[in-house]
Parts: sequence; structure tokens; C-alpha cells
Amino acid sequence: MQPVVHFKNVNKYYGAALAVENLDLSVEPGQFVTLLGPSGCGKSTTLRMLGGFETPSSGEIFLDGKPITKLPPNKRNVNIVFQDYALFPHLSVGRNIAFGLELKGLASDAIHKRTSELLSLVKLEDFAERMPDQLSGGQRQRVALMRALAPNPHVLLLDEPLSALDAKLRQQMQIELKSIQQTTGKTFIFVTHDQEEALTMSDVVVVMNKGRIEQMGAPDTLYSRPQSRFVANFIGESNFLEADVTAVHGNVATLDWDGHVIHADVNGNRVAAGDRTTVALRPESLYCLADKPGDRLALKGRIVRRVFKGAHSALTVQLTNGKELVVQIDPVALSQLHSDDIWIGWREQDAVLLRD
Amino acid sequence: MRHYFNDLPKTALTAGYWLFVAYLLLPLTLMMSMSFKDANFIAFPIQDWTLRWYAEVLQDRQFLDAIAYSAFIAFATTVCATVIGVWIALVVATEGIFGRAAIFALACLPAVVPGLINAISMRIFIRVIDLPTGTAAIILAHTVHAVPFVVIMALTRLRSMPKNLTDAARDLGADPFIAFVRVTIPYLMPALLGGMIFCVLTSIDDFVRTFFLGGYKPTLPMLIFAKVQGGMSPQINAMATIVLIATALIGLYAEYLTRRARK
Ligand SMILES: Nc1ncnc2c1ncn2[C@@H]1O[C@H](COP(=O)(O)OP(=O)(O)OP(=O)(O)O)[C@@H](O)[C@H]1O
Ligand SMILES: [Mg+2]
Repeated sequence: MQPVVHFKNVNKYYGAALAVENLDLSVEPGQFVTLLGPSGCGKSTTLRMLGGFETPSSGEIFLDGKPITKLPPNKRNVNIVFQDYALFPHLSVGRNIAFGLELKGLASDAIHKRTSELLSLVKLEDFAERMPDQLSGGQRQRVALMRALAPNPHVLLLDEPLSALDAKLRQQMQIELKSIQQTTGKTFIFVTHDQEEALTMSDVVVVMNKGRIEQMGAPDTLYSRPQSRFVANFIGESNFLEADVTAVHGNVATLDWDGHVIHADVNGNRVAAGDRTTVALRPESLYCLADKPGDRLALKGRIVRRVFKGAHSALTVQLTNGKELVVQIDPVALSQLHSDDIWIGWREQDAVLLRD
Repeated sequence: MRHYFNDLPKTALTAGYWLFVAYLLLPLTLMMSMSFKDANFIAFPIQDWTLRWYAEVLQDRQFLDAIAYSAFIAFATTVCATVIGVWIALVVATEGIFGRAAIFALACLPAVVPGLINAISMRIFIRVIDLPTGTAAIILAHTVHAVPFVVIMALTRLRSMPKNLTDAARDLGADPFIAFVRVTIPYLMPALLGGMIFCVLTSIDDFVRTFFLGGYKPTLPMLIFAKVQGGMSPQINAMATIVLIATALIGLYAEYLTRRARK
């Protein structure tokens, strides 16, 4: 399938400062794609280049296979939902939504029909005559969304549209947004720095760092198969183990971790015996046992810190080689440990080698 | 006792304020009441009341012509000053334009230059460019004086405008001009109305510039001045009262508009 959006080798400098570097990104039609990354990593810049508000310093951008790098915003078939909504304060809700339709030259009854259709999609039928300053945050958000959807863009761009809402409303809007995306079948490119939001909503998450793509993939892949320290840390939490490879058998590497023998998934990395690497281990992939298991690899350790976190607890366990691991444990498993001296284990596919 | 002492400064302040208000309003009240006095002498007591002076004034061709002429000049000044003022405000508000601060400072200069200096320099200037004294010269001078106020009001409003607003318009298919007309102008409107009313009032009120640059046709202030030269009369009081009430209404309306804009 032809990608609906394609960034080809795009760089963007502001003066001498690099905002986006060597961006190569293809988006399939109908996907919910999220750009995720810390503040200042170039998410908005990427979106604004696609919207036509910034020009790449080099590289090309394609929409439906056609180059759009030089087109002004009004000539591109993409629409943006702005972070602060940017509703026109002098126009009613209905006229806001109709704005793009009027500029397309639609007849007034067609505009009216489409406007009420969109308003009913978000249950705001009775609000067409209201002015934007008479709406709540969530309602403004919905109007902004509908205004951007009205002209039927090929791709909808959303720049942190939920960041101004409180936690409850935010969750509700996440679900609503996702369902609108599914009913309309549109391609959504969504920007956020909230990893949970990215994981819940997206088909594809693009993790960005310092203007570069760190890794992209399905949410579960990103979570269980992070490729870099940055990704493993930015999405969820991780223990990092610096270890030396002693042998590789297929997908499984055997490593020497300061005197302990451990196993880990090579995670697509090319490694050979003698390489020093980092292994990432999720706290929730680790399990604790009161006694040494007979059939599996386990490491002896001692609980040095317990932090109660409600649904689970976080234990810091010191191993016999002096290293510490953070383990997430549920109350039932915790109650079965009768002393601080325990054994720790994990499935070898849950430990992954990182490239850095 | 202590209570009284504590309140003394406050009492003094309040009393001072009301004295000032009285000082402000007394001459105006005097003028207005004399305009209803049925006698030629401007002095108390008023024995008989009349609307005679108003009837005379409203039939006075000279007065009506002067009002029409002043209104025309005010209108032309307002149009010119608004267009130029908004244009300068846009330039000053646009990032990456060279010498923005200098443009702003120069545009605002006429607001602080004394009217007399302004008038004299204008007189010399029109001489140099071979423009005769009269309507065009007056409008030119009034516009130069009014532009800074439009610039400042438009700029203040423009600075509070979210940049995303025009971006959103462009995003929805508007070219820069349509975005300007359909989003920027409506956003500026309250400030523009306030600025325009200010232009009208300063133009109608102006005496010094008009005196130096005018031709034979008198504007309202010039007419009243000429009449006063010939001696005070109840007619002048009536004229002034009409002008006072009209300008006060316009001023209040402007205040209402700017108040709404600030919201
Ligand atoms: N107009 C600009 N002029 C100069 N530098 C800019 C400009 N816009 C962005 N930058 C810089 O480019 C980099 C990327 O900015 P961008 O706005 O894309 O970040 P972001 O990922 O959207 O961050 P946030 O999550 O805070 O919105 C930042 O270092 C920023 O300082
Ligand atoms: Mg941003």
C-alpha cells in the first residue's frame, strides 16, 4: 500500500539549532500514529512541517505520493487540531465548524448538513449557536476536532490536544478520539509526551528523541522489545544490566553479569561472545520466590527496600554480586515471601539486549 | 477620638476629590444653564428659561456648515489613520521585520510632539510640497496626529491574539488575505472601533493644527473661536452644549467598546 504520508530525509534547522534530523517516516492510511517524546524533541516541528507552517531545511514530504514540501497550508489536504484549540472567538460553534467548508465553496445547505452531522457525532447538536468562550474545555476540544475534520482531510494532525484537560476528562476524550478515528477511518497523527496516552490510543508509536526517531512500532512491541536505553526508560520503567556476552544460541544470549550467569533475548542485535552489552528488564517481568527453584535459573538476593504503591509494591533487591534490581510484586506474591532472603527469576524472552 | 484621627486622611482625600469634581463640573454646568437663559447677559440669576438659543443655532447656516465640514474632516482623518495605523501595527507585530522598534517609535512620535510644533512644521512642510492650506492639509495633519493612537490600540489587541488563530484559518483553506479579513480584522474590531472614535474626537476637537493649516472655511472650533472674539453670547453657550453632549455620548460609547474588548 502507498503510504499516505512520507517524510523523506527531512532535516529542520532553526538557525544553527537542529530541531528535526534525518527524519524518514511512512504512515499507512487509516492508522493512528503517535509521535511520542520529551519536550523539545521535535514533535510539533514535524507536525507543523506536515501542516505547511514550517519549511524543511532539506528533504521532501509526500502526501498521497505527491510532493507537498513547497505547498502553503491552505493547499494541503491535512488539518490540524491545535493544542490551545484556536477556535475563532468571534464565530459561533457552528460557524467555526463551517469555516473550512465555506472556503471550499460548498453550498449553504450542504454546509449546514455537514455541520449538524459533525456536531451530533460529538453530541453537541444544541451548541451550534454558542460562542467558544461559553464552552467547557472538553466541549472546545470536540469543536476543534470537528472543525478540523469538517473539510474531510486525508490526514488529521493533533498537537497535544488533550494536554489542557484534567485527568478524568482526558481519559474520556482518549476513548472518544479513538472511536472517532475508527468510525471515520481517517489517518490520525497525534502528538503527545504522555507515554500512557500513546500506548492506549495508537496503532503505531514513533518515539522521538533530540530530533531523531529512536524507535517506531506497535505499542506492545515497543513496550516488550525496546531497542535503546532511552525507549526502555521513557516507556515504562526498566532495570539496566551491564553484562558480557559469553555465548549466543539462536535468539538467546548467555551473559556474564558480574559473576552471575543470565539469559536474554538478543532482540535483533548482532552480538558475539566477548561483547559488552546492556540488558533491559522490566520490574514487572521479575518474579520472587521464597526458595530456590529446581528447574529454572534464579538469582539469590536480599530485600533492602520496600515501597508500597497501592495495587503493587516495589522491592529493591540486592543480589550477591552487589547489584540491585527493582521488582514489582503484587500483594499475594509478597505475602508468600516469609523472609528478606529470596530468589529472583525471569523468563529469558523478557530480558532484552539493547543496542546502546 | 482615635477613630476620628484614623479616618482623617481618608476624609480629607474624599473631600479633596469632590472639590476637584466640583471645580471640573462647575464651569460646564454654568455654560449649560446659561444656554437656557432667556436674556442676552451671561449672569445669574436666571429668571426666564428658553430654548430660543438652540432654535437659533440649529437654523444658523454657518454653524451647520461648520459641523458638516468638521464631520467630513473627522471622517476622512479616521479612514486614513485607521488604514495607516493598522498597517503599521501589523508591520510592528510581524517577527523578522528589520527595524520594527524604530518604526514603532517613529509612528508614535506625533503623539508626544506638542501640537503647536506639529502645526508649524506641517505648515512649512506643505509649503515645500506645494500643497495649499485647506481641507487636504488639515486632514494630513490630523491623520499624522491620530495614527499613533490607532497603532497603539491595534498593537495591544494584536499582541493578545493567539498566533494559532491565523494558522488555523490558513490550515482550513484561507490564503493570507482571507485569513486577515476573516480572522484578524474581526479580532481587532473592538480595538479599531475604540481607535476610530478616538480619531473622530481628536479631529473635531483640534484647533491649533487646523488654525495653522486651514483655509477660509471654518471648522467648528474655528467658528466658535471667531464668535467668541466678537463677544460671548448665549448662542455660543448653546453651540458648546450641543458639542459637549454629542462628544460625551461618543466618548462613553468608546469606553463601552474598549471595556468589552478587554473582556
Ligand atoms: N520558531 C522556533 N525558533 C527557534 N527554535 C525553535 C522554534 N520552534 C521550535 N524550536 C526548537 O526546536 C526544537 C523542537 O521543538 P518542538 O516544538 O518541535 O518540540 P516538541 O517536541 O513539540 O516539544 P513540546 O513537547 O515541548 O511541545 C526545540 O529545541 C525548540 O526549542
Ligand atoms: Mg510541541
